[in-house]
Amino acid sequence: MIEARGLSKRYGELIAVEDVSFSIQPGEVVGFLGPNGAGKTTTMRMLTGFLPPTDGSVTIAGHDIFDEPLAARRAVGYLPETPPLYPEMSVEGYLTYVAKIKDVPRAQRRAAVDRALERCGLADVRRRVIGALSKGYRQRVGLAQAIVHDPSVLILDEPTVGLDPIQIREIRSLIAELARETKGDKARTVILSTHILPEVEAICRRVLILNRGRKVVDRPLAELQAGGASLEEIFARATAREPGEHAERPAPEAPSDDRTGAQESEVRS
Amino acid sequence: MRHVGAIAGRELRSLFSSPVAYAVLVLFAVLAGFFFLSGVLQFQDYIVRMQAFQMAQQLEELNLNDHVIAPFIHVMSVVMLFLIPGITMGLFASEKANGTQELLLTSPITIWELVLGKFLAAASFVALLVLLLAIYPALLFWYGDPELGKTLAGLAGLLLIGVTYAAIGSFASAVTQSQLIAFFLAFVMLLVLWMLGFLADLGAAGGAVSNESFAGVLRWLSTAEHFESLVMGLADTKDLAYFAALVAGFLIVTRAAVESVRWR
Repeated sequence: MIEARGLSKRYGELIAVEDVSFSIQPGEVVGFLGPNGAGKTTTMRMLTGFLPPTDGSVTIAGHDIFDEPLAARRAVGYLPETPPLYPEMSVEGYLTYVAKIKDVPRAQRRAAVDRALERCGLADVRRRVIGALSKGYRQRVGLAQAIVHDPSVLILDEPTVGLDPIQIREIRSLIAELARETKGDKARTVILSTHILPEVEAICRRVLILNRGRKVVDRPLAELQAGGASLEEIFARATAREPGEHAERPAPEAPSDDRTGAQESEVRS
Repeated sequence: MRHVGAIAGRELRSLFSSPVAYAVLVLFAVLAGFFFLSGVLQFQDYIVRMQAFQMAQQLEELNLNDHVIAPFIHVMSVVMLFLIPGITMGLFASEKANGTQELLLTSPITIWELVLGKFLAAASFVALLVLLLAIYPALLFWYGDPELGKTLAGLAGLLLIGVTYAAIGSFASAVTQSQLIAFFLAFVMLLVLWMLGFLADLGAAGGAVSNESFAGVLRWLSTAEHFESLVMGLADTKDLAYFAALVAGFLIVTRAAVESVRWR
């Protein structure tokens, strides 16, 4: 469903993401982990086509993000780090607008908006102005915007950041539900980035850890936990300043010489 | 191009749910009323004086088109210099500040659709301003008999220059995420374009621009010069081509500016 090959993003001398490759199958729910500045947001922006990679390619649902950008983007629902909301619009008006620019056919638009409102628990506030909503509700509107066109791929960048514990629980169970939903005959693919490790344990079946722009872990959660170590320990080891002594070696397709990469980015940061 | 309508519609609705649109409408209407009234009063004063001095010939030459409507449209084009940037400043800058740019650029729409939608919204607002303004000359048809064709040509000229300003304002909004900077950038660009003709005239009077062909180029580049012929009802295709080229040129660079966020 998602194919990333050799993704790199460099800003002049600064290396944000270096040679990241992965392949995600339909129905997989992948947790994207990494310390701040590891390149999670940059990678997600490259997957959605917001940023062009310096090197490498992305294919979404069989469409190359460069060669067929519109078809690829149609398949993606994306919740950026800050939900892209217009404070002066009503919830319903906003979702209708997003449905229009996401190519939901006119005849199905009303139903699509109603469904998104329903799924995200927004039916009661549909006529409210977005700017007057609480942060938790705004986050839900952000999620509703990502699913209004029923995408087969959902990319969520820190969907629970800045919420209170109850809101976090609500959003988390909503994401888990969205992940269980199917799109046509295929299950929906979800990538979610977060700092909250229990979130990954609750929702994701596969874990992908980035550190200094490189992929350092890419394994099923069950396999990672089988060793007895907690996800926190695994995370700490994988993102330690000196790589090369991880208990969890990177997946076979990951770069083999982490050491030079790490030193490079250390010099540059 | 099927998303253009959706983008323009949202933009207009947002414009009217913010105080900016109303502030511009009110300011425009008030200034128009003031300039119109003073124009009419001055016209009346001319008539009275010319009658007193028995200047039959001058009285004959005096007419509503040249002495009330044209100066009125002219001064309103100057008012547009600073009101249109108020309308366009938010077009792209607010999307960047809101983070909604990320939604737009990851949606299955092209950047052309985005730019044209935004421009169309701003141009529609300009049309509304011109419509509002048309009430004043329309009043004159009640009391006098100005030429309809000349009046409409003047209003069309105002619409054309307003739409051109909207294209320039779009560009200013696309290069920054601060609405304030977008406003001043647009205002300065419009002012400079407008004043090029004066610069040439100053130069012709023995200043730095004494080279006559250079002064001619400056004059040709100036919006004020081309607008003059439109208001006088003397528009030819060269003037129309000038404004069309400005609009097209600024929309092209606006598109490039929007696209450039991807390459930073």
